[in-house]
Amino acid sequence: MKKPDLKKLKEVNFKKAAKDFVYGKPHGERRLGDLYIPKTGLYKHREWRGIKDTMYYFNNIWLYNYGMIVRDLMVYGGGPKGAVQFLKGTWRYRWMGQTYLTVLHWFDRCLEGMRGETLAASAWHFRGIVSACLYQITGFFNRDANIGGDLALRAKTLGTDETVWGGIIYPYMDQGAMYLPTQMIPYFVTCHCNNHTVLNYIDAAQAYGLPGDPCPMCQAEAGIFIEDDVPDSYVAVVTTNEACDGSVGTSVIQDWMMNKPLFAMPQVMQFDDDTVLENCAKEIEMAWRFTEEQLGVEFHWDELVKHIKLQNQQNQFEREKWDVAANTHSYPINGVAQALYRIFYSQYGERPFWHDVDKKVRKIMEKCVNEDINTFPMTRHRVIAWSCAPLYYSAWCTWAYNCWGLNTIINMDSLMFDLDIRTDTYENCLLDIAKYHEWAPMRRMAVGGLQHIFELWENMEKFNCDMVMMYDQLQCKGMQGVVGLFEDEFRARNIHAIWMPHALPDKRTVPRSQIRQIINDYMFTVMGEEPLDPSLLDFDDSDSW
Amino acid sequence: MFFGKKKKKKSLIGRIIRAFLGIYAGLFCVFFFDLDGKLLYYVVEPFMKNHFDNMERRDPHTVPYDLIDTEYMQKK
Repeated sequence: MKKPDLKKLKEVNFKKAAKDFVYGKPHGERRLGDLYIPKTGLYKHREWRGIKDTMYYFNNIWLYNYGMIVRDLMVYGGGPKGAVQFLKGTWRYRWMGQTYLTVLHWFDRCLEGMRGETLAASAWHFRGIVSACLYQITGFFNRDANIGGDLALRAKTLGTDETVWGGIIYPYMDQGAMYLPTQMIPYFVTCHCNNHTVLNYIDAAQAYGLPGDPCPMCQAEAGIFIEDDVPDSYVAVVTTNEACDGSVGTSVIQDWMMNKPLFAMPQVMQFDDDTVLENCAKEIEMAWRFTEEQLGVEFHWDELVKHIKLQNQQNQFEREKWDVAANTHSYPINGVAQALYRIFYSQYGERPFWHDVDKKVRKIMEKCVNEDINTFPMTRHRVIAWSCAPLYYSAWCTWAYNCWGLNTIINMDSLMFDLDIRTDTYENCLLDIAKYHEWAPMRRMAVGGLQHIFELWENMEKFNCDMVMMYDQLQCKGMQGVVGLFEDEFRARNIHAIWMPHALPDKRTVPRSQIRQIINDYMFTVMGEEPLDPSLLDFDDSDSW
Repeated sequence: MFFGKKKKKKSLIGRIIRAFLGIYAGLFCVFFFDLDGKLLYYVVEPFMKNHFDNMERRDPHTVPYDLIDTEYMQKK
């Protein structure tokens, strides 16, 4: 048996070790990169954050969320029958059976290194997202004709493209109508949680003969239909051209394979025009008539107003959050939680679980402000992230803060839907809904015209940011066209900007390690700075979720 | 006799507490050593992947390539 090295033991500073055990190691001494098992992204052991925060993570995040997943399945699924349907769906669909079971690791990646109020508030955002996912997953499976779902529920369900705003179903919700975005859960959220599965769908689309160079998001959306991996849970469909012509191309395939009555509700390309707005409003009214015809429901104005008012409440709280983020050092939500939560609820529409989360977050945020807590104490640069983010590496913000002190304050997707919809008259309400629809994801500030794309500058000032993380979606022809304009502006305004190339859901084009290397190179060579945690500079997570 | 019942009750409560603490400690080990992640990564995911890779799927070409004329679309 090897004798213990007493000399080494003597060198240990027991007082410091005890302090680290109780309070956790301070930022800069953590060496989070040493915790990874190479390639997998798994941990040799999860991070020790000190007694209080480790036990918070164990009890209030890990255990709580596993428990709440079961609770949500039973409540949204409608009891044991829903649980059976869930098991059937897990066995039937790859995006469920291979993807979402790893959800707690998504929490881990996004919450690495977080402490105290930041850990709590960010984790609540993820709880809201997971609840929204389960609401949709059980919605799909309970109605799915492929696995013996309830056809009466299916008859009241409208399938949509994922960029059709969920508010379209508000006037009918009191009549049991449900809105299910056909790609949001089977494709979009999977990339964040476990990016292994989406590659099957991209490859399926290309194997089918579609060219590989358009947006891989559109390819993946078509791929889930080619792979016959979409539940048959709705009777009619409302689609949209989303933000690009790649999407229009793949919509043809989706329409064919859905084989259901379909209404195409366009998102206009040039939308700063009142006549276009009126036209868009007419299209929305037509989509409502289509829904009424297909689902056998009636338009209830009061029901629409009720949900719009609740949605406006969410938007008003979002502005309060931005105020704290912009003007204090007490904003307790990290970059990835901010981005994903905001785009999810703005797009999916008002539901009770969002309000529950907002109540918890408000309490935490008020505590941070009242006690003047510095929530990201190692911030060196305040970053604004612009354009469309890499879905397979949304947790880059967490890494960038831990490694370099780059604190992502706000991002483009959060800012897109900043609109309180009027409810004083039907006409005003309709016009605002039309505008909200026009400001769809990837539209207003990505391919919605130069003046919106360049809203970056005013938001940079508003949020007191000194650096831009400029996403460069390599297969988005729309944003590729403005790279040079941004370069000129960055130079003219003397702004530090890091271009982050990526291919939205496809990690094979620009791996995560390459994204980190680009940021590392900029921080070393241009900024002349040293990392806070050198163990995070270079590690292999090529096969991780 | 009375004392015997109390002792029995006490030992039952003690056993429940011990069982609870044992489960709690076990779950903490699963959490801290990322055993849930390892199980999912090395066992569950490869098993499910194999299942989905070998699953029989509908040939998409069996879906008719037709337009569905709803009453609404005819009006439009």
